[in-house]
Amino acid sequence: MTNKIIKYAVVVLVVGFILYNAVYFEKLSEVKAASSEEAFDATAYAQSFWTNALLPALPEAVDLAALIHQLKTNPAQAFESHSHALGIGNIRYFLVQGQGKVAAVNENEVTVLNEQDTMRFLVQLETEFVYGNAVRDAVGAIDISEFTNTMHLNQVSEEVNQIIRQEVIPPFREQVKEGDIVQFAGAVELNQKYLNLDEIEIIPVSLMIMEP
Amino acid sequence: MITDTSTQQPEITKSEPAKTPSNNTAKDFRHYLVKFQSLIALFLLCAVIGLLSDNFFTVANGWNVMRQISVNICISVGMTLVILTGGIDLSVGSVLAFSGAVTAGLLSAGIELPAFDLFIGFTLLGGIIVGMATGSILGAFNGWTITRFRVPPFVATLAMLTIARGLTMLWTNGFPISGLGEGFVTIGTGWFLGIPVPVWISAVVVVSFMMITTKTKLGRYIYAIGGNENAARLSGINIKKVKIIVYSLAGGLAAVGGLIVTARLNSAQPNAGFSYELDAIAAVVIGGTSLSGGRGTILGTVLGAIIIGVLNNGLVLLDVSPFWQQVVKGIVILLAVIIDKSSSKNQ
Repeated sequence: MTNKIIKYAVVVLVVGFILYNAVYFEKLSEVKAASSEEAFDATAYAQSFWTNALLPALPEAVDLAALIHQLKTNPAQAFESHSHALGIGNIRYFLVQGQGKVAAVNENEVTVLNEQDTMRFLVQLETEFVYGNAVRDAVGAIDISEFTNTMHLNQVSEEVNQIIRQEVIPPFREQVKEGDIVQFAGAVELNQKYLNLDEIEIIPVSLMIMEP
Repeated sequence: MITDTSTQQPEITKSEPAKTPSNNTAKDFRHYLVKFQSLIALFLLCAVIGLLSDNFFTVANGWNVMRQISVNICISVGMTLVILTGGIDLSVGSVLAFSGAVTAGLLSAGIELPAFDLFIGFTLLGGIIVGMATGSILGAFNGWTITRFRVPPFVATLAMLTIARGLTMLWTNGFPISGLGEGFVTIGTGWFLGIPVPVWISAVVVVSFMMITTKTKLGRYIYAIGGNENAARLSGINIKKVKIIVYSLAGGLAAVGGLIVTARLNSAQPNAGFSYELDAIAAVVIGGTSLSGGRGTILGTVLGAIIIGVLNNGLVLLDVSPFWQQVVKGIVILLAVIIDKSSSKNQ
């Protein structure tokens, strides 16, 4: 009988000790107040990134025709000189600019024909499916160590893409028509191992229809 | 007196042909070949990959492989217990995901009770305990449905695979849960005495369950049930109780795997553990555990898990397409089952 009591007492003590060290209680209102002060504001971060990092970097963006030429002749040099990425792997991002004639206005993208002296190529300006990290990463201005978790990093991409969807694309889509000359700047995603230059897709950051 | 031995010799040869030295040697060799088939396979695999890739025999890659297989070892040990009883558990991957998600959710957000203006926060210990309890409860539920309603283990655990995955999606809303704190991340990425923490965890699991299967009543019951369930019942073993315990342990060990995966990524992914059950079953079968139950060892499973891990690592180092990797793994599992069947027949 005494042994049983001692056994149960030990069990209760151990369980009590574990529970005491397993949970803690606080006032919900105080926790909420504290967490709202610490919360990451992705919208503000994205807006600041757009204004202070992305737009100032556009004039320095590599010319698309020159980039394609370099990718064909010396891809390793092209990736090293002009691409950025936050993660490891073969996917890299380029901030590019260029000019061309609108060849087609489709539901999801605008096809632009770029003709140079010896080169002639088509690029797709994405106007519907603006997703991914291309624009965020192409500038090379974000320091991953500033973020405590990847969710915040992804939220920045989403907010940047949202700015493009709301502010860059609608005025362009309203006016653009086949035959227009457009100036564009944006981000391109390329795989350095499986390089495909036949279908270049650009997530636009700046779109401008030139006066005839 | 001269004895003619030539007349006696043929008689001996006829009546006991297996006792000639050459036959014994061949039999012994075959016996050792079967006994150490997993080790031989691992040795050959390492030799081939080492010859083809310069990066394979490096310390960093060795630790990388060990760290990767530690999750599979935890799950496979549980799977071994289940298969030893003649069952199967297809839900371990989903249970792993849900347990990891529960731990991550509690660590990062706790439980809010607005009606009482109360926030229940969980310490690292609390999150781990609840996560492991979640896995064990789901495993126990598997055992209960199998024993109470006589649902075939394949069907019962297949149902749990879907249930646990659905629960994971509901708990996470389909998004990763991250920001779990440095203490928790150490479980997946830390080092202790020069060895990665996940390797320590898997070593503790292996040693504990080697003891359980070889030195305890529960271990003997598990083998007995897998060997002949009717005989085990007639000898007074509580089959239902043992099976529920076994499935609970498998769920709990899947949860341990879930904790390591979640800690390693510093986030709980809703799709974590997808198809992990296949790697676990492969490790068990390659390790020599019979799919019909009653025969197998924890150590064999560990070897099987190492083979699967080395194979995965080798295929990546050799730059084999992920699609071909799946084909190769499938063929290896098939070969292991065929070898198991043929060796069972011979015995």
